Amino acid sequence: MLDELCINISNRLNTGILILDNNYNIIMWNRFLQVHANKEDNHVEGKSVFTVFPELPRRWLERKLSSVVQLKTQSFCGWEQRHHLFELSHSRPITTDSHFMAQNCTFLPVEVEGDVERICILIEDVTDVCHYQTQLNKALEELAISNRIDGLTQAFNRKHWEECLAKEFSRARRYQHDLALVMLDLDHFKLLNDTFGHQGGDMVLIETAKTIDKLLRMGDLFGRYGGEEFAVILPNTDLEGAEEVAERIRQAIAKSAINHQDRRISVTASIGVAVIDSDDSRYEDLISNADTALYQAKATGRNRVCLAKEAVEI
Amino acid sequence: MSSFDLTEDQQDCLQELINVAMGQASDQLARYLDTFVYLKVPSIEQVKSEHLFETLNQDLKATAVVSQGFFGYEGIRGEALLMYQPQDSHRLADLLGYEADELTFDEQIIDLSSILTTTFLNVFASQIDNQMSYSAPRLLSANQGTISEHLNQQSFNWDLALKVRISYQVTDYSFNCDMVLLIPEEAINNIKAVIDRILEDF
Repeated sequence: MLDELCINISNRLNTGILILDNNYNIIMWNRFLQVHANKEDNHVEGKSVFTVFPELPRRWLERKLSSVVQLKTQSFCGWEQRHHLFELSHSRPITTDSHFMAQNCTFLPVEVEGDVERICILIEDVTDVCHYQTQLNKALEELAISNRIDGLTQAFNRKHWEECLAKEFSRARRYQHDLALVMLDLDHFKLLNDTFGHQGGDMVLIETAKTIDKLLRMGDLFGRYGGEEFAVILPNTDLEGAEEVAERIRQAIAKSAINHQDRRISVTASIGVAVIDSDDSRYEDLISNADTALYQAKATGRNRVCLAKEAVEI
Repeated sequence: MSSFDLTEDQQDCLQELINVAMGQASDQLARYLDTFVYLKVPSIEQVKSEHLFETLNQDLKATAVVSQGFFGYEGIRGEALLMYQPQDSHRLADLLGYEADELTFDEQIIDLSSILTTTFLNVFASQIDNQMSYSAPRLLSANQGTISEHLNQQSFNWDLALKVRISYQVTDYSFNCDMVLLIPEEAINNIKAVIDRILEDF
């Protein structure tokens, strides 16, 4: 009576039950497994679990099962480490894109008079959990990216860019590395906005960001500092190297003409360059040195590059 | 002294039960892992939730933590935390008898945690005529930050817990880790009842 009840319940569980003998032959399984493995009872009972499920990682699983027998203790395998052990269908075949059932497996020793004679494997369908966790992770990743990026220009936003600068600054200090900063401001941007409208202005910002981005090396960190102001962190770069990069950026911006509603917009940039020096105790000093050089470039006619040292001397 | 404090007799009895369990667990582990496993003298104390980190954190800077819940008969239940230092963990696959490419680092520490926890608690349970079941072990966080960073964002809904800390050493693999068993307030009384029964029989 109780046996019948147990069998009835085990066949209605939404959990797979698989019982093996010590040689890993299948003694019994329940309806859950029968359905999701899509195999018939008489092709399974008495057969080795590795024959019935050839997809199982045999060496690993044998070692795992040996711990169950030898230590007489439960063992586990979760979907986060292994998506699945058994290739089974699952309960969300229509509304998820998971091919196989994501599984949490528990391996239980079944002792008879002190010796482990059987191993019971419980297989839980966690396709649902896996599906939502994957979606959540994806959303978090997207959120992390949108938290760093300026929506208009796709450059780093001010906050993230400054965090990068703080890190690069302390790294350069610690290891006595070079570090250069290039800050640039588009010339007469307000006039440009008034002439071509804000959409024209936005187009210029987008295209300028693309132009700058193409000229940078891997490891350079490019951000939108303010309205029409951009900034580039150049790790391991001295003043001469940074001047070269700045000059290349200046020329590329001056050369490119942007088509907007059948009109061509030309734009130039004034650029300030500074490198880390022994007087700088904070990264903000580096910014203000580059900023001073940038205003020097503005004051001396625009569309030119000024270096921080020159700016200080003048 | 709170009403949950163990009497001296109870404390001695628990200590003795744990010592015996440690001996047997160490023996079983040595046979399974095929190397000597040393378990250092345990510390048993009660902790308040607000002091948990201080008692766990100590000198551990970067730590991986694996949690596994356990429960047995007579209302005995709790949570085991296994704590690893990354520099100790590079030969784990070897120790566990797997090929390094068969499983990820996360899986290795989860697997080892489960083995250490369940082996010890199974032997402990048999000492008190009990039998344990376990939840799936879960990696709270891989090797980054301190334990308090992993757990600090939570406010606990418990005040007091019984804390048993056991250090494992596998010298052949220069491996160390700590197992901390935490038994929540309501379960402490159940443990005390079991201990009292053993003391009476004795």
